[in-house]
Amino acid sequence: MIHAVLIFNTSGVARLTKFYTPLHQSSQAVIQKIFSLICSRPAGLCNFLDAPELEGFLGQNVDDDDRWRVVYRNYATLFFVFVVDGAESELGILDLIQVFVEALDRAFGNVCELDLVFHFDEVHHILAEIIQGGLVLETDVEEIDKAVHLAAKTRSESFASANPLSLTGGGLGSRGAHIKTPLGWLTGKLTGVGAR
Amino acid sequence: MWERTLQDLIRGLRANKKDESKFIAKAVDEIRSEIKGEDMELKAGAVLKLTYLEMLGYDMSWASFHVVEVMSSPRSHLKSVGYLAAGQSFNEDTDVLMLTTNLLKKDLSSTPADVAVTLNGLANIITSDLARDLAPELVAMLNHSRPAIRKRAVLTMYKVLMKYPEAAASARPRLVERLEDADQGVIAATANVLCELGRRRPQDYLTLAPQLFHILTTASNNWLIIKIVKLFGFMTPHEPRLVKKLQPPITDLISTTPAISLLYECVHTCIIGGMLQGTSGSALAKTCVTKLAAFLQDEDQNLKYIALLALTKIVPTHPYLLAEYQDVVLACVNDQDISIRMRALDLVCAMVNRDNLQSIVQQVLSHLVPETSSTMQPTASQSLAQHAIPVSPTNPRPALSPNQSPAYRLVLSQHILEMCSQNTYDNITNFEWYISVLVDLAHVANVDIGAEIRDQLVDVVARVKAARRYAVKLMYTLLTDETFLQNAQEEGSCKEVLWAAAWICGEHCRELTDPQQLLPYFFTAEVSHLTPDIIAVYIQAATKIFGYWAAELAERWDNEMLPELKEVVEAIVESVTEFSGSTHIEVQERAANALQLFKFIQADINTFQPKPYPNSGFSVPGPSSSFDPIPPSEPHFPKSLYLIQPLFNVYDLNPVARQAQASVPIPEGLDLDAWIVPPPPEPEPEAEPSEPRVKKSKKGKEKEGVNGTKTKGSKKKKDAEQLEPQDVLIPDQEETQEERALREKRKAERLAQLKDDPYYIIDDRSPPPTREDFDSIPVVKLEGMPSLQSIHDNRLPSLKPLPISSSVTQFVIEKEGEMPAGAVFPLLSSSPASRPQTTEPVLHLAAPVPLSSFPQYEVPDDIARTVTPEPVKVVRTKKKGTGKKKRTTDAS
Repeated sequence: MIHAVLIFNTSGVARLTKFYTPLHQSSQAVIQKIFSLICSRPAGLCNFLDAPELEGFLGQNVDDDDRWRVVYRNYATLFFVFVVDGAESELGILDLIQVFVEALDRAFGNVCELDLVFHFDEVHHILAEIIQGGLVLETDVEEIDKAVHLAAKTRSESFASANPLSLTGGGLGSRGAHIKTPLGWLTGKLTGVGAR
Repeated sequence: MWERTLQDLIRGLRANKKDESKFIAKAVDEIRSEIKGEDMELKAGAVLKLTYLEMLGYDMSWASFHVVEVMSSPRSHLKSVGYLAAGQSFNEDTDVLMLTTNLLKKDLSSTPADVAVTLNGLANIITSDLARDLAPELVAMLNHSRPAIRKRAVLTMYKVLMKYPEAAASARPRLVERLEDADQGVIAATANVLCELGRRRPQDYLTLAPQLFHILTTASNNWLIIKIVKLFGFMTPHEPRLVKKLQPPITDLISTTPAISLLYECVHTCIIGGMLQGTSGSALAKTCVTKLAAFLQDEDQNLKYIALLALTKIVPTHPYLLAEYQDVVLACVNDQDISIRMRALDLVCAMVNRDNLQSIVQQVLSHLVPETSSTMQPTASQSLAQHAIPVSPTNPRPALSPNQSPAYRLVLSQHILEMCSQNTYDNITNFEWYISVLVDLAHVANVDIGAEIRDQLVDVVARVKAARRYAVKLMYTLLTDETFLQNAQEEGSCKEVLWAAAWICGEHCRELTDPQQLLPYFFTAEVSHLTPDIIAVYIQAATKIFGYWAAELAERWDNEMLPELKEVVEAIVESVTEFSGSTHIEVQERAANALQLFKFIQADINTFQPKPYPNSGFSVPGPSSSFDPIPPSEPHFPKSLYLIQPLFNVYDLNPVARQAQASVPIPEGLDLDAWIVPPPPEPEPEAEPSEPRVKKSKKGKEKEGVNGTKTKGSKKKKDAEQLEPQDVLIPDQEETQEERALREKRKAERLAQLKDDPYYIIDDRSPPPTREDFDSIPVVKLEGMPSLQSIHDNRLPSLKPLPISSSVTQFVIEKEGEMPAGAVFPLLSSSPASRPQTTEPVLHLAAPVPLSSFPQYEVPDDIARTVTPEPVKVVRTKKKGTGKKKRTTDAS
């Protein structure tokens, strides 16, 4: 199964952390460790992080098939990291990361780091359409996209009915927060699904 | 009122990067007040902000109740915030989870959108209580009309089964039905869950093979097929018939699929499922290897990585298939990507055999050599230069070469040792080479691997007699290597190797031409900075070496030698005195022992009159030794020269077989079940029948099983021994009588023992004689055992003394290790030692067997004296004359 999904940027700042298995150490320590190992790897290397420092750190016995593996992908300023065990196929997970990113891209429209920063809840909702409790729920981008839209629509309708006076009831469901955004420069970045 | 939304918080965080903690403290204060309010929107907003902060590492467990409040909101957009926060922050121990059961039940029967949110949230927060309480609802939900919900319900069911396995009975049939669901997504989810479950208990899922097989042959979704193939991989070891069934489709997949991930899984399943056996299997194996080897040279690093993973699995059964790819694999060890290197190392490790070991090890070793030779030792670079195959060490490397990472160096070093020591050095043809590799490794490793190298060195030297001379030579240079000693305090210096060096030189000092030249190196100033355990070995080694050298001197004694001898002894006494004040108990003890020995020698030498045939000017009054090689009169050399050698050099240390300890025959008359110190209170002084019973009931497990009733009965009537025979079951009667005799005997023994027990008061004890007995017993035993073949037991931890056999064969490895001569229990593969058992081989020191039970004391009297001296009492030292006794054993 999948034990964790992490997104952090190239400076090691977490943008999303989802642990499906409780850890025996602080999530921050894990993120920092994985980040430090990943960021020292030049581009062009393989997408599997296999470092002696890692074994034991993740708290797994070194039994080969149950070893936790770290699969990661780098997109622009972001690292997408999946921590999985022997029941997952390494290359399959690599594809899954791609699926995840595509789903984000569809939801946000040309996704960039700021989208994730300001809509971290939305990212969680999208992830929830792909993985549930550490098991893969859906791998088809179309299906995922459909489900994401459906859920977002439910939330925004619910929001609109609770706030009839709100101007941007059609927001992403993140409480229509960006109405209050005074900064013009951000609006371009903040186009969410609903605003598209 | 202007509340900060999540976006405001994030913006604020970005604006206040310098003063983040202050900003957050303020924000958390706001959140605290917002979260307590009545306004649900506000509360949810606060929870969401907290969830964000949680991601950054701030605690939000204090807000768990408020999270539940938000979860219970009827509005979807708030509810989803609540479930999100719960999934992120709750754990097994979150107490408010108890409050959620009804909430979850309600939400599970809500609108489909809410149900989806609830199922997802539940999968994150489930506990065994929740699993138990919600199992019926969730099982029902497996048949939900909407595929999206069924999918989620299937996945949630996995979590339920993990937390509450009892749900399996009701859940399993429905779960299995889902394998034939109309929706592909549901089937995939079900396969996913079954794969996870089957991984844990494959045998429970064998009955699903037909359905799974059907999916395998019809499905087109790679994800699904991968999961099914994986599941079959777990199952085949439990159902051999599956192998035949699976071979065709899997072979088909392997040769046709374009998806490498699937290919890898198929190969993996073939391997762990044992499908590569037999003729058709080996053809399949060949296909696999060819396919995988092609990936090794692929540009895509991921394929390389996966190929290495898979090949590592295949090598153990089909090593020959990989032989031709050795160079490619070795090139991977040189890859700039540490992930690839790690896997390649594993593969290489699995590939080594007698023919390629040396070249592979040299290659791997060369990775450890720093490119800019900084502090290299001559030995290392020299021998590397000798062997090293040009591996392109001048590779242009990225700024941070993996070679520099300590963790990686450690892995490399461990792999080298592992490759070489596999199956007790099966792959090594030249042990001199291996010993030099070990020494090189100690020099270049620069990581903390010293202890492992030390153990290897000692082990090899013990097992391979032919390599000893060379080992001693190398160890000698190591000990005299000042730079190494100076670096010993640094991190990763592998200083433990000095332990091995000292031990080997000490133990096998007869290989040295001028052993005394080594002595000063044991006491240089730097030595005192070493760790205590090394110092202790140094002291011991120095003592051994001196002992050997002194004995040698004695044989060719010339009065000219006296000054040198004096000098050496004086130097040793001086250094040892220093150590005898050490704060480390082991060092102190060894030093104190050595000190007394050397002081005695010193005294002897100082009083020694260098005359051709001097009379002893020395304290021994009596006839010191009846068995001096130089017959009756006093020797012409200081007699104390023979003091030390017999303490150490009498027997050789040999490896002990793994089962040796267990195979030691129990000497006749020794009852391991007998109390050493009998249990105190019970009816002690009474007649014996009752007593053994007590014993039984307390500890004799096996006996108790047989006649538990008896024990009970007897307990009740323990005062009436008369009754006992009747009480005992009739069939036992005969036995009991025998036993009784035995018991009586044992009791007598026990009582005898008690006399010595300071903690046991007996009225009629007679103390004075016991003391003396006590003194003599161990001594007698020590010497006695060799000649009596019957008893010996080897309790020395890893090595044991045996007579030397001087035959030097070309690197015979004592793989098995030694077994006691009369080894009884044919344990596992306990085969007798490979070396010929010499006639009186096994004497064993350190026999921790209860004293009383040793019947055999028939020991040559003279020998007995030898070991007696208690080092501290100078008076007793006279017995040192015994030195010669060593020759007896040595000769053997």
